[in-house]
Amino acid sequence: MLEETLVLFKNIRNPKYDKSLAGYKKTGGFKSLKKVFGMKPEEVVQEVKESGVRGRGGAGFPTGLKWSFMAKGTGKPSYLVANADESEPGTCKDRELMLKDPHLFLEGLMIGSYAVGCHHAYVYVRGEFFPAIKTLNAAVDELYADGLLGHDPLGSGFNLDITIHTGAGAYICGEETALLDSLEGKRGQPRVKPPFPAVSGFNGCPTSVNNVETLACLPFIFSDGGVESFKSFGPQNNSGTHLVSLSGHVNSPGVYELRMDVSMKDIIYEIGGGIRNGKKLKGVIPGGSSSPVMKADEIDVLYNFDDLAKIGTMMGSAAMMVFDEDTDVVKLLHRITRFYAHESCGQCTPCREGTHWSRQIVRDFLNGNGSEEKLKRLDRVGGNMLGTTLCALGDAAALPIQSIVNKFPEEFRNYYATT
Amino acid sequence: MPVFQIDGEPVEYEPGEKVLSAALRCGKIIPHYCYHPGMSIVATCRMCLVDVIDLGNGRPAPKLQTACSVDATAGMKIETFNQKVEEGRKLVNEFLLINHPLDCPICDQSGECTLQDYSFKYGSGKSEMDYSKRVNGWRDIGTFVALERNRCIQCSRCDRFTREITGTNEFGMFNRGHELAVDTYTDRPMTNKFQGNMADICPVGAITEKEFRFKRRVWKLKKNHSICTGCSTGCNVTIEHDRNEVFRLKPHENQNVNKWWLCDEGRLTYRKMNEKKSRINQPLGLIGENLEGISWEKAYGAIAERIRELKPLPQEVLALTDTHASNEELFLIQKLLKEGFSSENIFCPFPTWEQSESDFFINTLITTDKTPNRAGALALHIKGDQKNKKLKKVIEGELKVVFVLGNPFENELEFKEIIKRTQLVIHIGVFHNSWSEMADVVLPGQFYSEKEGTYTNKNQRVQSTEIAVKALRRTRPEWQIISELSQALGHKSSFESIPQVFNAMVQEAKAFTGISFDKIGSFGIELTKNTKDPGKKVVPEMTAI
Ligand SMILES: Cc1cc2nc3c(=O)[nH]c(=O)nc-3n(C[C@H](O)[C@H](O)[C@H](O)COP(=O)(O)O)c2cc1C
Ligand code: SF4
Ligand code: SF4
Ligand code: FES
Repeated sequence: MLEETLVLFKNIRNPKYDKSLAGYKKTGGFKSLKKVFGMKPEEVVQEVKESGVRGRGGAGFPTGLKWSFMAKGTGKPSYLVANADESEPGTCKDRELMLKDPHLFLEGLMIGSYAVGCHHAYVYVRGEFFPAIKTLNAAVDELYADGLLGHDPLGSGFNLDITIHTGAGAYICGEETALLDSLEGKRGQPRVKPPFPAVSGFNGCPTSVNNVETLACLPFIFSDGGVESFKSFGPQNNSGTHLVSLSGHVNSPGVYELRMDVSMKDIIYEIGGGIRNGKKLKGVIPGGSSSPVMKADEIDVLYNFDDLAKIGTMMGSAAMMVFDEDTDVVKLLHRITRFYAHESCGQCTPCREGTHWSRQIVRDFLNGNGSEEKLKRLDRVGGNMLGTTLCALGDAAALPIQSIVNKFPEEFRNYYATT
Repeated sequence: MPVFQIDGEPVEYEPGEKVLSAALRCGKIIPHYCYHPGMSIVATCRMCLVDVIDLGNGRPAPKLQTACSVDATAGMKIETFNQKVEEGRKLVNEFLLINHPLDCPICDQSGECTLQDYSFKYGSGKSEMDYSKRVNGWRDIGTFVALERNRCIQCSRCDRFTREITGTNEFGMFNRGHELAVDTYTDRPMTNKFQGNMADICPVGAITEKEFRFKRRVWKLKKNHSICTGCSTGCNVTIEHDRNEVFRLKPHENQNVNKWWLCDEGRLTYRKMNEKKSRINQPLGLIGENLEGISWEKAYGAIAERIRELKPLPQEVLALTDTHASNEELFLIQKLLKEGFSSENIFCPFPTWEQSESDFFINTLITTDKTPNRAGALALHIKGDQKNKKLKKVIEGELKVVFVLGNPFENELEFKEIIKRTQLVIHIGVFHNSWSEMADVVLPGQFYSEKEGTYTNKNQRVQSTEIAVKALRRTRPEWQIISELSQALGHKSSFESIPQVFNAMVQEAKAFTGISFDKIGSFGIELTKNTKDPGKKVVPEMTAI
């Protein structure tokens, strides 16, 4: 029987865990930070590279590598910003971490700040996460009171402030450059890249934006023997455990911490307890609504970055949404296209026009106005958004359209054949 | 300079320059909407697609790139035209058109609309969008420009203009996604003095100049290069006209002066070019109590005769001029006095002006100094001071002959009272004013849109104007009038053309040494650049007070 591997959730799974600073310290908290303070920042970056941890925000970019791109010697301050805007449909893992073990994440943020030479870190939290915002603020207050934040924590000679900043309800503000614009007080719209944030980010200074879960991995990586055991949790290039947000028609949905060498099938049937009401599986959205959908016969695959990429989909933010045989995928696609049409920032042409147009076409099917021509057009509109936009939201909107149209064309045809 | 390749041709680039900018520089046509060389790069319209077949490392870019945002790098190879690129542009253009009203027949932009141009090239002629189009409607955003948002393609140029160029921030993008729309904040009308530029940079007909609305189809307009004489900046303009009527002024790019921009006040000066009522349309002479139409010959003859009778001494002659006169006109009238009367009594008003430092854009473009050729007058050492003290002295002495060019010292009523009593007052000007009323002979000149000439702007740049529209039949350009007048008075020099006058001025006036008419070109030439000591200004500094 497949079971969770507890690294990030080690405390959270302990029913008696006290998430206050004292409670966190009791479980060995801030030992890693102390160790890190004894190392040179370059060594810290090197260790992170060594561990092979890849970004958990969706793109899976190696974190150590990202940090090594940070511009040095510019005379400007460097920044680390934690991306806690978690809004990818289906994803709810960062919220767990912030709500139930805030100090683990904050320790990670502090380690990261030390590594990139940041003296003022920001946490950009999704505005609707009221309890998490409260918890984080309380935790930061505790850290200041304890002297772990501010001037010279643990006698390290390093200064660090942390500000919790709340977003104002836009999915696009999770995109790192839109996030920085929003953090600067501007309209949250993705910027043209290059320059990448590592060169010109927050207020034009070198900046690294990292997902909450990515940062929360750091205390473990810097514990004794951390790098080696971290690497052992998955196949090469996919190291560490990760948090899987399992939702949809399974018996036990939830956020689970799993190794990266387990198969999707096992996740659905063993961790998730199989499909609800004994139904058959129809398909899975493997990594948040932005990932190409998979059919039931494709799920015999290891659930990690590379194995999913190999079969033409992606792990994204590891939000697995399972749907059973009764699901109407046309309605599903309609819901997805509605989301992207609503969340597109609108600045670039293909995304602004394409997200809305595709939504209109899908709605036509639901209203009984579908046709073979419109099905082709839907696919074409999706394709025209793919790879033509400024940020990845255009791709995110296009991938589910194309995959659903191509994998379930019959379902669309049923709509206009029967009406 | 490093080199990369566009369509197989080597192109030099400045490090950091974008592919689009380099390509446009060498005459390549890459369709684009959101890119504007004077503003930040947002790369959002996605139209400027090119195929990077070699990134400089032997490998191609994985997908089409937006030329406006890609840095040119050594060894890079770009194709601006191949099937892949054409396909890419086609699909972007389709997206832009699905919600566009296509109301070209009633849109003023029609004919100079890049969306229209590219749609002819890339549009399919058949829309696959079978839903009602987005309606954002028009908005009242102030007096100068009209905003028809249905035509907007959300390129954000207008938004960036008020943010980055005027710094006034009164315009912006509202809502998001498909509902993204431009507007002013909380319905407030726009206040900046440069709104016309928003109509210029709007690639479609979403923002148009109210002044020009429904007046002429743009393809009927003929264009001539000129210099705005609204203030001492001397912005380069194109006078756009049809059938001898001027319809609008548009900025003409000159990086040394106005870059791409023109202020609204300057744009409105086009009205004056069409003004007919107050024009002096033929030579006039005082016959009995009244000014009556006479021929040019008679006018010159009468003046010559009177002067022979009066035999004025040098201190008894005076010329007054304003700073709307061109360098040549100033030079000639000065010469007229010197050669004919050995007099140096030529005066020009140099009023004080104020400029607040805070309006950063305004300081570089529009100034409150409304003396367009003040620097030219100073360069020729034409006299004048802020309080007109020196002039007062001359006027209070004995005066016999007064030449008045244009409308100088408009509000010095006291001067006018004294001059009125002079024996011979000759007014050379375009419009009727109090000077023409008191004159004994009135010689009708031409407006700057009707004649050639050069003007020196506040930064000592000499720039020239072209003839845009035909002047009234019985008027003559002032430089010609003064030259003919000196002929009639029996003076030596005679001039046939502006270049000839200019080159004579270069010979005689020290400030103009080293330049020639041909060197002015379309961007002008700075006086200071020609002195041996480039650090020294040849003309007294014109400072704001
Ligand atoms: C439309 C869009 C939305 C995104 N939303 C999030 C988000 O909510 N949370 C997140 O961590 N990353 C999000 N990302 C990814 C970020 O841009 C960025 O890659 C990530 O924060 C980097 O952190 P990592 O390297 O730790 O993954 C989003 C990206 C896109 C294109
Ligand atoms: S792809 Fe969509 S969300 Fe991203 S910048 Fe363009 S319009 Fe905005
Ligand atoms: S009004 Fe014109 S300039 Fe402004 S965004 Fe629309 S198309 Fe662009
Ligand atoms: S001009 Fe390049 S994207 Fe608009």
